[in-house]
Amino acid sequence: MTDKYDDRSHDSTSPTDADGHEVKHEGRTLPTLPGGLHDTTTSRTLWGDAWRRLRKNKLAVAGLIWICLIVVMTLSADLWVPPNFGDPLAIDTTPGANLQPPSLEHPFGTDKLGRDVFSRVVYGARVSLTVGLLAVSISLVIGLLLGALSGYYSGFVDGLVMRAADVFFAFPYILFAIALIAVLGPSYRNVFIAIGILGWPSIARVFRSSIFSVKENEYVDAARAMGASDLRIMFRHIMPNAIAPIIVYGTMSIGGAIITEAALSFLGMGVQPPTPSWGLMLSDAKSLMFAAPWLTIWPGFAILTTVLAFVLMGDGMRDALDVKMKD
Amino acid sequence: MLKYVVRRIFQMIPVFIGVTLILFILRAPGVLPGDPVRMITGERAITEALRLQVIEKHALDQPLHRQYIIYLQNLMRGDLGESYQRGRPVVDIFAEKFPNTLRLALAGIIVEVIIGLTAGIISAVRQYSFLDVLVTLSTSILVSVPVFWLGMLFQIFFGIRLKEWTGGAFYLPISGMSSGEFPDWVHLILPAITLASVSTAYVARIMRSQMLESMGQDYIRTAEAKGLTRRAVTFRHALKNALIPVVTFVGIDFGVMMGGAILTETVFSWPGVGREIFLAVGQRDWPIVMGGVVIIVFLVMIINLLVDLSYALLDPRIRYGGAGE
Amino acid sequence: MSALLEVKDLATHFMTRDGVVKAVDGVSFVLEPGKTLAVVGESGSGKSVTALSIMRLIQEPQGRIVSGEILFKGDDIRKMSDSQVRSVRGDRIAMIFQDPMTSLNPVFRVGRQIGESLILHKGMTRKQAFERAVELLEMVGIPHPRDRAKDYPHQFSGGMRQRAMIAMALACDPDILIADEPTTALDVTIQAQILELMMEMQERTGAAIIMITHDLGVVADMADDVMVMYAGKQVEYGTSDRVFYEPRHPYTWGLLASLPRHDVDEKGTLLPITGQPPSLINVPPGCAFHPRCPHARGLCREEVPGLHDVGGGHLTTCPLAPDERPSEAPAQREGA
Repeated sequence: MTDKYDDRSHDSTSPTDADGHEVKHEGRTLPTLPGGLHDTTTSRTLWGDAWRRLRKNKLAVAGLIWICLIVVMTLSADLWVPPNFGDPLAIDTTPGANLQPPSLEHPFGTDKLGRDVFSRVVYGARVSLTVGLLAVSISLVIGLLLGALSGYYSGFVDGLVMRAADVFFAFPYILFAIALIAVLGPSYRNVFIAIGILGWPSIARVFRSSIFSVKENEYVDAARAMGASDLRIMFRHIMPNAIAPIIVYGTMSIGGAIITEAALSFLGMGVQPPTPSWGLMLSDAKSLMFAAPWLTIWPGFAILTTVLAFVLMGDGMRDALDVKMKD
Repeated sequence: MLKYVVRRIFQMIPVFIGVTLILFILRAPGVLPGDPVRMITGERAITEALRLQVIEKHALDQPLHRQYIIYLQNLMRGDLGESYQRGRPVVDIFAEKFPNTLRLALAGIIVEVIIGLTAGIISAVRQYSFLDVLVTLSTSILVSVPVFWLGMLFQIFFGIRLKEWTGGAFYLPISGMSSGEFPDWVHLILPAITLASVSTAYVARIMRSQMLESMGQDYIRTAEAKGLTRRAVTFRHALKNALIPVVTFVGIDFGVMMGGAILTETVFSWPGVGREIFLAVGQRDWPIVMGGVVIIVFLVMIINLLVDLSYALLDPRIRYGGAGE
Repeated sequence: MSALLEVKDLATHFMTRDGVVKAVDGVSFVLEPGKTLAVVGESGSGKSVTALSIMRLIQEPQGRIVSGEILFKGDDIRKMSDSQVRSVRGDRIAMIFQDPMTSLNPVFRVGRQIGESLILHKGMTRKQAFERAVELLEMVGIPHPRDRAKDYPHQFSGGMRQRAMIAMALACDPDILIADEPTTALDVTIQAQILELMMEMQERTGAAIIMITHDLGVVADMADDVMVMYAGKQVEYGTSDRVFYEPRHPYTWGLLASLPRHDVDEKGTLLPITGQPPSLINVPPGCAFHPRCPHARGLCREEVPGLHDVGGGHLTTCPLAPDERPSEAPAQREGA
């Protein structure tokens, strides 16, 4: 495994690299690098190497910077946004205050209730990031638990969990979310609960398969032979090796959750007014698309760049950690 | 081959039970907050007589397993309940809208296949070229775009701005299915591109990685050693292998498009199944929402089965059973 | 008799991130019509790259033939246009590969894959090519060839697949058949059958064979000449008899010693080669083999030894005189 990491230590967009089949052709005739170092013993350098490779990937770094910027902006928003641009919820009924095109005072214009769009976009990031993080956390808790049961005990438990995952995959994603929310009632909280519940099967599958591949290794047998408990084996031996794909998948899932929240709110099955959510803002913008295009452009741009940042980060981490994933 | 078909059909049984169970639980009393009658009638005042009638019909006063059996029986009969607000069976409402959704899905698949395959193949054959970087970058962006926003941008650009710039000479219809102004198929252009956008990016990515993978296989070297041209090796030997997973993806996506077009149909006011569900959400007309989900889930399941079976036709390793060793 | 194939001072390098890999570095040999040349060495010694270079199948731009001549019937393959090379490939020089499981395209029927080069080089129709493919399958000993030609590769066993590969290679009646470890991926019992088939085919078609292997035992019966490669260089080259009975390079001794032999007492006389093959990026100075050589001395570590004739066209790079060869037990490493 170690030499494979060395093989991949390149920027995936660099055109000078020999990637894929060229290497394979004479792979047989090239000398193998010495040592098949133990995974757990090299985990520190593995993360160090991964970080170095990630840093070389310009797109991933751009994603990371953008995410940090959004987080800082939205966390500090109370300090600088309302005083300069107005409260995101403050309705201004003065004639002429609504539907103002972008100006110095209102960089993204105002909406039909006279609220500052820039302020709402900044605060909308809070909703998106919160939903994204909480939803993925819920998926992780359920997915890791079920994936661990499935991968570790295999047999009947495995069959049961995997069939349950199949059932979840049988539903078209957004419709399942709508059905769930129809029952739970549309609200901020129920949006991330629904997205979280729907996200577990992919996490469980990823985790299960990495457990399977780790379980093949002799050191797990050795640990078991020495009388280590199941929990100990899980945390000491399996988790450290199975964590890379989970991190990659989790990062990408945050982007997915943000887009789903926007879609649900757009359809009226998500965050409810007047909370500033990007999807909700686009839903309001629909009827004013031509009269006030700035209402459409900025919230959508915010969704695109935020989701893209998570996708690029995820891609970069996948390459850096050398995680194999099906598209 | 027959064994494979039978096995696949048998594997669907637990999924079928699971899916119906979940759909059932979503409206079972006591399982989740909410009144089961409300889920069956939609959110509006109903007469006590209707209430009792609903309880009677769905056996809501009986034990859960009995209710589940009644639920299954109703499903089997094709009875998905009734929209009490519109006074029509849910099945009829969707049957009316389905052809529109099907047309949109077909148009979307055509866009997805043509653009996705071309981009993926070019990207793989010219790996690391400018075009490859362009394709890779634009697919990353496309999977991050919210489709409904993309639809809105298209409407602003092709519907309004283009009309302004060309002095009304050229623009595209932005909503609805037909008007006197344009032939019907022109109305499909923007919704189809919007619907296909994300999938096109995925097709391009899968095509690219599959092409690269199959071009690295030993049998490609064998083909080259025969003296075949680069072109024959790429388009005969590599492409046929690489296409198998792509075809699977496109097939499954077709199922998703037929059900999941809710966002695109909403943005473009396309009178299909998805928009019907959106309208019902707004009216809290739950029978239509849940009925729509049921129909679409079964549609998707059937299409996935068909895709699996066609996979067997494409890949001789499945068609003719296990490997020879 | 003029040489069918003459390779002069061939060098093929790969540009990698870590530096230039000199996969093949100055290899020369001659192949006469109908003869068999065995190219022997560990993995990484450059034998497969030598074969791919002859076919001009080195993946550019990472890999490149940097110097030398590859004279096929007097014409330099290196100087041919792409279309000229393609007309030689599969028609005049054919190749079979190590792993018959992965070397056949899984989505095409075996008959079609065999017929492909006939359509290409002999201008046959699909139907003619299929008929000929059936004949070829029969020739390589596949039972019910007509039915089997309609099968897909996964329906064949490993040995049958390699037979199909041989049929494919022989389809156009080539002058040279390059076999790159054709038996490595097969069961031991099947290995012997495949080798026998190759010899039989050679008798029938008169093709010259370049047999690439890491196992000297495989070629003992069939090779006319043997070339031993180490770290991209040829270290010993001569007739089969000379190399087997009067090996001059310590590496060859090692290869011979690691063969299980019936005539020698197993204990004590096996002299396996210790250590790892060198990195081709940082080839040791001097003789590349010196870190593993029990007889290495001062000069071996400094000067790259050249090939020299030790009589009768038997070439070696090792300056060791024949009487210095240890007769029995492994010699002690000096100064190590």
